[in-house]
Amino acid sequence: MAEAAAGNPEEGVLSRLEKLEARARALALKQEEAEQQQRQEVARLRARIRQLRRRRDELKGKVSLQQAALGRREEATSSGAEPVPTARVQERALLQWKVETVEAMLRVFYLTGISGKLTERGVCFCLSTAYDGNYLDSYYLDIVITQPVRIHRHSVPIFIPLKRIAAKYLQTDVRCFLATLSAHLNAYVGRKYQADYLQKHFSAFLGGHWQKNSLYNMLAFNYDVTTESSTFPFRVKLLYGDLDRSLPTEASVSCKEDVPASLLEKAATHSSLFMNMALHKAFDTFRKAAETPDNTEGTVPHWAGQETFLTAGMGHLRFSKSQATWMREIGTSEHQAPGLCHGQLYLAPEH
Amino acid sequence: MAARGRRGRGAAGGAMDVTVAEFIRRTVLKVPRSHIPALLQAWGFLPAARLQALDVRPLKEAIAEAVVQLCQENSASIKEAAVLDIVYNHTFQNKRVWTVYQMTKATGGETDIFDFTAFKRKFKRRIQSSLINVTINFKEFEDNAIWIRIAWGTSYTKPNQYKATYVVYHSQTPYAFISKSINRSNLPLLCQALIVASNYGDIREMELRSHCLDSLKDIVFKRYSQTFQTHHPKPLQERNVAPENVDPRLIQEDKSEKERIQRVNQEVFGDGPQPKLEFAQYKLETMFKSSPKMVNVSERESFRCLVKFSSPHLLEALKSLAPAGMADAPLSPLLTCIPHKARNYFKIKERKGVLAAGLVSP
Repeated sequence: MAEAAAGNPEEGVLSRLEKLEARARALALKQEEAEQQQRQEVARLRARIRQLRRRRDELKGKVSLQQAALGRREEATSSGAEPVPTARVQERALLQWKVETVEAMLRVFYLTGISGKLTERGVCFCLSTAYDGNYLDSYYLDIVITQPVRIHRHSVPIFIPLKRIAAKYLQTDVRCFLATLSAHLNAYVGRKYQADYLQKHFSAFLGGHWQKNSLYNMLAFNYDVTTESSTFPFRVKLLYGDLDRSLPTEASVSCKEDVPASLLEKAATHSSLFMNMALHKAFDTFRKAAETPDNTEGTVPHWAGQETFLTAGMGHLRFSKSQATWMREIGTSEHQAPGLCHGQLYLAPEH
Repeated sequence: MAARGRRGRGAAGGAMDVTVAEFIRRTVLKVPRSHIPALLQAWGFLPAARLQALDVRPLKEAIAEAVVQLCQENSASIKEAAVLDIVYNHTFQNKRVWTVYQMTKATGGETDIFDFTAFKRKFKRRIQSSLINVTINFKEFEDNAIWIRIAWGTSYTKPNQYKATYVVYHSQTPYAFISKSINRSNLPLLCQALIVASNYGDIREMELRSHCLDSLKDIVFKRYSQTFQTHHPKPLQERNVAPENVDPRLIQEDKSEKERIQRVNQEVFGDGPQPKLEFAQYKLETMFKSSPKMVNVSERESFRCLVKFSSPHLLEALKSLAPAGMADAPLSPLLTCIPHKARNYFKIKERKGVLAAGLVSP
């Protein structure tokens, strides 16, 4: 480089440029070669993948063929010795049916009111409530079995005296605890149901000035009593002293002073009526008395026959003896069977 | 304003205080125009016929004027104005920040039959025994909620109607919801009056605050959706799932992981809507754990740090963290225990003997 520079500077530069050009060309060639090699490699690998896939499919086919052949061979040999394998098959089918029946029973067990499921640390109880043939809300208790037994989580409303009941019964007698809590919850939803039903369906009778509290154990309202001549406003105050009952312990019906004596005794009868009958039923009798004064009590429809009904909240569960299935109808009919409804479960073996 | 008052005094129906008129006017101006008829109807003070005659003209000022005129004809007093204020705050309850207070019984007693009249009387008596210049009003709403409005004054000044404190109480529950008023000096008196009136022994402030009053009620009354293990299957909810055109040759590598995340998420948060909270605040009082190389911070001192999560709907945001891939499932129990422990302000201290941070409830 030095002599080229010393000799002829332009030649030196040109030769340098030539050398650089040559180097660039060589590099480009090398790069192309490398790329081509890479492409060849990729193509080779792809071919290998296809080959391996084909081999895998072949082997899979062979395995399935062999299994089928094995199965056929088993059947062929077993067709000779009939009773034993079919007995085994039958046993298995029976066991399967038993398991399914138990699972189905567990699934509908919540309809009894108190059901539970084992968890890792304890039990999760489900208290379902019902009133007057309607299934209402479910409340849950997550209990951890430690020493002492404690409630980990729950969805019981805050105004139910859960702590008090738990302090009394949880450590000693769990059954009693659940029964008491269930009674409280059922009574609460019963009272709430009566009040809501009354407000919804008998609004024509009611006067207003509703007073109630969260537990629905105090209810006061005005309602109208119609006689032949005119209507008089009565005010009733119901106190539910027992939290596990849905009937009041105290019912005081009051009216203004300037009313005829017949109405005063009517107030007394109403008072005893409220003490012994559910609110909406009492108002039902009022309504019937208002419509047909001679008729004392309507006939109770008798549910007979193959089908029994259970209304559950927003829908109806129909348990049919004739069919081995149970159907769920979504309906919002207000029709309820007065009195208690009985339901029977039939789970067919074939199902 | 004074002129309006004088004008009002000449109208039929009697005099109405200038301050009351101004208060009513300002309250009506706060209400969005579309809500004014419903609000006035819920108030129930003005006769229905006049309310229907009131037309909602373009300018809210004119509507407010008309309402004030009607009130003057019906001789509204501060009591009715206060009830209007209660109805306004009940309709727009999410504008205030509510704090939850828990009351405890000194001795275990039976669940009493709640007597509203006795409650009102005891409450008023307790407050008015210490402070004469207060305006106290009550209103009961359909969902058994009792709203109490207290406008505070001092020995020298009249009650300030524009900075009233609101208390929401449900009978037979040990919880009261108080909206933060700026003046905290009257808070002890208020708490005293509450426990006296509701027959409890003690009251304490819970670390639970939010704008959404209904969500606070859901949390403490246990009305929010919790998952419990049961045998009976819950009815499946319809979800709009678009049919996927899946090439059968495509395999989702993390399908089992996604399903696991969904399952864990559902176990923790449940299916239903979450209560609406805006903040979760964690005050760390733990030691700074550094690698041995960094010796800048002295290891004796606790490293004070405040972590605050804020969101328009915090719990829904936490619920969607794991499915979105932004956090591991299951989430830290510090985040998921918020509705269960009924608090969103935490203090985290050192767990003695263990290096991890533990939860301490004050």
